[in-house]
Amino acid sequence: MYVPIALMVVFSFNPIRSLAKFAGFSLRWYQALMGNRIVWEAFFNSLWVAAVVTLVSIVLGLLMANAVVRFRFSGKPLVDMLIYVPVIIPEITESLSLLMMYVFINFPLGAWSVIIGHAAFSISYGVVVLRARLAGFDTSVEEAAKTLGANELQTFLKVTMPIMMPGILAASLLAFTISYDDFIKTMFTTGPGFKTLPLIIWFSASKGGVSPELNSLSTFAISISLLFAFARMKISGIKW
Amino acid sequence: MAGSPSRLAPSLFFSSLEKFTRKVRSSKRLKVALLLGPPVAYLMVWFVAPFVLTLMYSFDLVTPNRQFVFSPSLQYYLRVMGWEGVFKIFVRSVGYGLLTSVVCALLAYPAAYYVSFKCRRYKDALLLVFIIPFWVSFLLRTYALMGVLAEEGFLNSVLLWLGVIEKPIKILYTQNAVIIGMVYNYLLFMVLPLYGSIEKLDKSLLEAASTLGANPVSTFIKVTLPLTMPGVAAGFLLVFIPAVGEFIIPSLMGSTETYMMGNVIWDVFLYTRHWWLGSALSVLFIIFVLSMTMIYLKAVGAEELVI
Repeated sequence: MYVPIALMVVFSFNPIRSLAKFAGFSLRWYQALMGNRIVWEAFFNSLWVAAVVTLVSIVLGLLMANAVVRFRFSGKPLVDMLIYVPVIIPEITESLSLLMMYVFINFPLGAWSVIIGHAAFSISYGVVVLRARLAGFDTSVEEAAKTLGANELQTFLKVTMPIMMPGILAASLLAFTISYDDFIKTMFTTGPGFKTLPLIIWFSASKGGVSPELNSLSTFAISISLLFAFARMKISGIKW
Repeated sequence: MAGSPSRLAPSLFFSSLEKFTRKVRSSKRLKVALLLGPPVAYLMVWFVAPFVLTLMYSFDLVTPNRQFVFSPSLQYYLRVMGWEGVFKIFVRSVGYGLLTSVVCALLAYPAAYYVSFKCRRYKDALLLVFIIPFWVSFLLRTYALMGVLAEEGFLNSVLLWLGVIEKPIKILYTQNAVIIGMVYNYLLFMVLPLYGSIEKLDKSLLEAASTLGANPVSTFIKVTLPLTMPGVAAGFLLVFIPAVGEFIIPSLMGSTETYMMGNVIWDVFLYTRHWWLGSALSVLFIIFVLSMTMIYLKAVGAEELVI
């Protein structure tokens, strides 16, 4: 399982262009990477897009999760469907529909078209995580706060939110990772000149195949992904 | 006079705000509406509406000038269904999907069985170790695998060095690479449900079987295997459904000979840009995926996907 990835990491330090012979340790490709502005731009794009997507997903996800867990109302099955369908639908079909819509309404393609698209399914993931967390939540604590005189907003800010924090953090990391790693939807909904890291990796891999520059870029990307994954694991405490 | 308008406005605002919050507090409906409003509106606009648009294009209800016309027609559906090339690719996609699922099952079962039965102490740690590579994005894993399977890549150099082969074998950009790539990427989706199913096995049943005189082999065939079938079925569909629509792996690791449904949809939309045809194609594809998902849910009993 690890072999391909480990190899890639190892060979990213290989000074010569070969995947067969290892000619000693060298940071040559990483140096080239450092100087590559396009890559840095794409990296920062990935980061800030993911950040905005996370924010939107958490806010909307919290609203939705609260509604679904705390209240019984007619039409709940429909809302459930709205939550689960974005996850089941193949990303490629979801993405092309969104692209068609963007063009149809003349929505400019660029960073925001990507963000909106990512959030469209990130909300679902957020709801699923938050809902689980909220369902196990003992509402008597909130009632106690209200009895002691807190109004709705104070109860939410001082009682509910702190208790929900681990769930919110877990959902945030999940949404962030999904957006950061996303390729298909980004490919469809991006505009000229706006690239994220996965797109750069894709273009390089499909044009030139395997290359040491790409190896070092990928090693870099992998360390970031693993960082987030470990953070996620720490926060949720489950082996995820 | 109570005060200048600038002093009146804020107090008016706050008193109406108070009235509003009182109304919200007393009405469950209003609460739900406020909570659900924004997210549902968002999903309606950016998820549901695009699909409706796609549907409309597929039924030829839209003109190239982006006007809606009432002229429903099935012509694009018929064109897609009569399109021999696409049908071939569809069959190939299903075939690859099935093959991937089967190989995943064959690889996952012994591994999951071994870990569950024989490695009692390190079970959880081993599972974690297995999962870690999957935290890396799909694209990156695929790319890493390319490095291994390339003609000048690692696998070939090892085989050459070992003397097993004389010339590098071409794996990358062939059908085999695509299957290997898919198995590599989707193995987790088979292992997890399977492992869960094996773990849940009531070991006392196995004891009972041996007490009744069954040998290990027939115990496995008659007790273990049937009882873990739900896990196999779940894993099978969790691999098959996404694998059929796969696009990245055949693009990066295959050639035009290994085109799958995902590639066709991609091409029609991003190269040919024939939205009507592409929409009909997508809708048909979605119907296929959704029906497979329905079958899955019926077969497995609509349990929560613990993924």
